[in-house]
Amino acid sequence: MRKKRLRLSLLVEPPASATGDIAFNLIIFFLVCASVQPDSGREQSLPRSDQNSAEQTENIQVQLTRNAVMLNGAIIRQNDFAIALSRSLKGKVRQEDRVVIVQSKPDTPYSHWIIVTEMIDRAGGIVTIQTEEVQEMVVPNS
Amino acid sequence: MKISRRASKADVPSMAMGDIAFNLLIFFVILARAEDDSHLHWQPASAVEITASGAARVSVLIDSDNKYYINGQQVGETQIAGEVESLLGNAAAGERRVFFKVHKDAQAMYFEPAIAAISEVGGDLVHVLEQKKE
Repeated sequence: MRKKRLRLSLLVEPPASATGDIAFNLIIFFLVCASVQPDSGREQSLPRSDQNSAEQTENIQVQLTRNAVMLNGAIIRQNDFAIALSRSLKGKVRQEDRVVIVQSKPDTPYSHWIIVTEMIDRAGGIVTIQTEEVQEMVVPNS
Repeated sequence: MKISRRASKADVPSMAMGDIAFNLLIFFVILARAEDDSHLHWQPASAVEITASGAARVSVLIDSDNKYYINGQQVGETQIAGEVESLLGNAAAGERRVFFKVHKDAQAMYFEPAIAAISEVGGDLVHVLEQKKE
């Protein structure tokens, strides 16, 4: 009786022509991954400084600190801010009257700023920011 | 005596296809990384109403270490206006969208100068936010 010899073919090479397709699929995968980034948010158009009217003092002022919000100098709760602002904006038809000047303390977090400015937008106000001007002064040597 | 012509075959070797595609892959990945800011660490702030925005030419990012990046490249605070202006070029109104990605805990002393710089050069600011979970 003849014994059958067992053949072991350990090395099975994949077809070289398939590597192009594999790499092409990888390219598509990486490009799709790169394009799936959060790009939704909120548009905001800030009036340019030269567009501000001369009657700036009559505009509504909102001051922001780390965790508080003030409307024309009066501290109010964040939940009540929207109602209070709507009341202040009532009857103001002209665009320049609806400008709300937002002044933030340097340590105001962005998340807090976004919540308040969103409320201003929804109430029909036009957000404009007022930053503190830094003046450098040279003290003469005595 | 008649000699028959031999038709010579000139095939592109299929073995090389893998190498070509692999090099293309490396090229695209490096290119995407240079222009992209997905590798930067930041967490978006949340808002109730957000809308899907189209593509933007410029992306200004402030990461968790309060560093400024324009299209993934680190810049200084004073460079923002100039960089954004050069990237926007003479783009018409409506095409001057600038994505503004700020880490939710970044402070006003960092993000307000950037907002001022973008609006100064006529960029249409789009705050990139996530939907607030009720």
